[in-house]
Amino acid sequence: MSEMAAPLTPAQKSTDQFEIRDYLRLDLFPHFLCPGCGHGIALRALLWAIHDLDIEKDQLAVVSGIGCSGRLSAYIDANTFHTTHGRPLAFATGLKLARPDLHVIVITGDGDCLAIGGNHLIHAARRNLDITCIMLNNEVYGMTGGQVSPTTSLDRFTTTTPLGNQEPGFDACALATGAGATFVGREVTLQTTALKILMQEGIVHRGFSFVEVISDCTEIYGRKNDLGSSPEMVLSQKRSVLPKFDGSAVDKPFRAGNWDTGVLLRKERPEYYEAYRAHCHRVLGDGKSK
Amino acid sequence: MMSQIQSNIPQRQSLQGNQACALGAIAAGCRLFAGYPITPSSEIAERMSKELPRVDGVFVQMEDEIASMAAVLGASMGGVKSMTATSGPGFSLKQEHIGYGIQAEVPCVVINVMRGGPSTGMPTRPAQGDVMQSRWGTHGDHPAIVLTPSSVQEIYTQTITAFNFSEIYRIPVVVLYDEAIGHLVDTVDLPNPESIKINNRKWADGPAEDYEPYAPDADGIPPMPLPGDGYRTHTTGLTHLESGFPTQVPEEVTRVTSRLLNKIELHRDAIEQYELSCCDDADILVVAFGITARASERAVNNARAGGIKAGLLRLVTLWPFPERILQQLVERASHVLVPEMNAGQLILEVERLCPDSTPVSGVNKFDGDPIHPDEILAKIEELADE
Amino acid sequence: MNSTAGTSAVRPAVMAAPTNVLIVGVGGQGVIMVSKILARLSQLQGLQVKQSEVHGMAKRGGSVFSHIRFGNEVWSPTIPMGEADVVLGLEWAEGLRWLRYLKPGVGTFISDTKRIVPPFSCRDRQHDARHGYANHSVAEIVNQVPSAFAPDATGMATQLGNERVANTILLGILSTVMDFPVESWREVLPEFVPPKTVETNLKAFEAGREWTTKPHAPDLNETSVVQHAMPTSRREVNLEITEAWCKSCDICVKMCPERCLALDDHQIVELVKPEACTGCRVCEWLCPDFAIAVHVSSVPIVANQAGVSTEVSA
Repeated sequence: MSEMAAPLTPAQKSTDQFEIRDYLRLDLFPHFLCPGCGHGIALRALLWAIHDLDIEKDQLAVVSGIGCSGRLSAYIDANTFHTTHGRPLAFATGLKLARPDLHVIVITGDGDCLAIGGNHLIHAARRNLDITCIMLNNEVYGMTGGQVSPTTSLDRFTTTTPLGNQEPGFDACALATGAGATFVGREVTLQTTALKILMQEGIVHRGFSFVEVISDCTEIYGRKNDLGSSPEMVLSQKRSVLPKFDGSAVDKPFRAGNWDTGVLLRKERPEYYEAYRAHCHRVLGDGKSK
Repeated sequence: MMSQIQSNIPQRQSLQGNQACALGAIAAGCRLFAGYPITPSSEIAERMSKELPRVDGVFVQMEDEIASMAAVLGASMGGVKSMTATSGPGFSLKQEHIGYGIQAEVPCVVINVMRGGPSTGMPTRPAQGDVMQSRWGTHGDHPAIVLTPSSVQEIYTQTITAFNFSEIYRIPVVVLYDEAIGHLVDTVDLPNPESIKINNRKWADGPAEDYEPYAPDADGIPPMPLPGDGYRTHTTGLTHLESGFPTQVPEEVTRVTSRLLNKIELHRDAIEQYELSCCDDADILVVAFGITARASERAVNNARAGGIKAGLLRLVTLWPFPERILQQLVERASHVLVPEMNAGQLILEVERLCPDSTPVSGVNKFDGDPIHPDEILAKIEELADE
Repeated sequence: MNSTAGTSAVRPAVMAAPTNVLIVGVGGQGVIMVSKILARLSQLQGLQVKQSEVHGMAKRGGSVFSHIRFGNEVWSPTIPMGEADVVLGLEWAEGLRWLRYLKPGVGTFISDTKRIVPPFSCRDRQHDARHGYANHSVAEIVNQVPSAFAPDATGMATQLGNERVANTILLGILSTVMDFPVESWREVLPEFVPPKTVETNLKAFEAGREWTTKPHAPDLNETSVVQHAMPTSRREVNLEITEAWCKSCDICVKMCPERCLALDDHQIVELVKPEACTGCRVCEWLCPDFAIAVHVSSVPIVANQAGVSTEVSA
């Protein structure tokens, strides 16, 4: 089996040299996202972070699930895996365990990650394998036409909550924190540079890191709920963020649309692959292994 | 590394079926096992958790059956041979990912130790009720390779074969056996490691510029890109072109899906495995697999002793079904008998392949007990009297 | 008073009118400290002193000035325009701003040539933007005022190892035009500077005095000022718009701080006010479709013979 990838250090390459096209599969453009979709902004921030960290595209594996977020992996010029609904973290777990030399990044959505994939999220967080999970939260199932999701705000209209949603939403960051993630952060797409820095820190973090991106579904969710035009929606994020700079844990009641942003949690715990391998060597001794 | 481990194990061992499966997997080069506890297959996971760290492999017990299958696919896409093991309920949960493995052509092995069903059924009792699920469990048209060992020794060898087939044909291969053989302890002769034939997948090695990950070689099988080798390909469960990217253009879908379906048909001869016993002059042909084939062999021998010209076609490859040998044998046989531990699944395929003039009967049992040789013999005698 | 009176020990016996010194600069340069030293010196000479100041912008780099008036009898705390015997500028533009307070024909002008260009003097938000900073050359000023000293005090202070002692260099120059005994300056100075910097400040004081003994061609000063303040290159911004990728979401148009983008007849983004574009990249960052790429390059500015850039004087 391969050796674990060497630790990354922040910002190895100058941002001035970032050309997003170097990281795209240009044949597939324009991409399939709707006009004004926040996922595109998030994808730029991710590729920007990857550039600045000087991660070789050959050593980068991007694993995604199903939904609008799931389609993003195809546009990245790297080793990309578009897997099944809710399971990208499970695929990524196998991939990272088999190939610890790769930098494994998961792109997932609120439905993909918290509903059908909720079980995988909490266990990936608990296991603390060195995977970066980027969850794009647009509060809706966009690909299937706008159904209610585990993060849909109260009273919002979707095609399956025609009278307004009455289910409380998840605080995904609190969930990841509770499950044992060692790096948790949230940012809005409006703050592209802050988002890029947050993603960068998540990728650098040795262990399971969870980054929630507040993204806009303008065409379906925005339209259904009269949230305004694309620029109005992205600008309204400004009113909904509560930046945090102290890295403290999520510790107060969560209200959707009122987000703590920045690095919410950062702590040290042994990375799972390294711990597993080291423990096996310790117990078995060099004679029995290798 | 591997030979050193193997040489530490005595050549003749008393092994449980599930443990033989684990040792076969290690011998075949499996270096990652992802699983979830389920009776009656858990001993495979337990043995793998012990063996894998000794060969620098990884064992991981995932959060559920679905995740186990996903992790196996993820590992294989990373270039490492991988396997999972389960039983009925888990096998049901894995079906979507088996489909992904077929569509994305990811080599891997799935062990299904059959128990009584449906649903939770009878976890500790044997059955052969997953014959059709192993072929058609996942949705959509798809090829399948399913191997059915009938002894502890054969579990060892067929697990290796399963890895070889999966690597050669880039497909998840199912090894299907029942609780009775899985928990059977028998004497197994482990072959000298050097004598074990190991096949590895074809790796892409040409220039990366115009590389298409699903452009097949002449054998219908595309070489696989290894992450890190510079190909940077896209893998998806969507119907995809040779380039790896999705398509919905009818002509293109027909082309790529036909290739997927035909790649196993093309290699039928190499994949079909079976064993004939007293078939040369058989009037009554018994077709069976797994534990039931063992009982059938005894019944055929007893029938022969009683002067009845019975023969046995034991299927080792269940899918693709060894069609031509069956059709050859039924040219001579006047009756075909299909004993199986279910309400009648394999018999459907046999009937499909037999001419209307050849009557096909079954011996069916789904009460959690294996079929006794006498039950099969009684049916043979009954047919001989007709 | 003139520039040769510095070493005179003669104490002014009777002064018909108070001596007026105006000390100006920007926040953080030490205007107040210099004022206090001067006030203390005057007190030691048994004179009446009045000092008034405007400060409070110290942390923001804002304008700060201090009026010092001393003599046998001082009534008003502020110096009327055209009555200052000395204008001491710790920053070039501040010095020029108060130049009209100098007694025409007789007053002494002392100023650092250091230029601190405030962001709000910039005409637009372009990088290296044109600005409203005083564009007089040092030579122009020095030639206008009979008694003028324009050293690169900040540069000299940097050479001494501490940029912050520039004010003491100017104080050294001031000491050569005032009728206070030089020993008094040397005694008072340590009381008002941080203990650890006393030695450096005393060196700076002597350096200032020494500077006045050497001839200084205005051209030399001017060259150093231009090099210090003028950009040698400017940013050129180009917007590359991939029309085929634009989906008309309007985010870039509405979020552009300069409002220089618009959707055309086909609802595709176009740059309608290229001159207003600052290359801030907000459109590039927020475009979900990667349809805008901002290319920023550095273009050298062609300078004329006098070293004044064509860009800044335009």
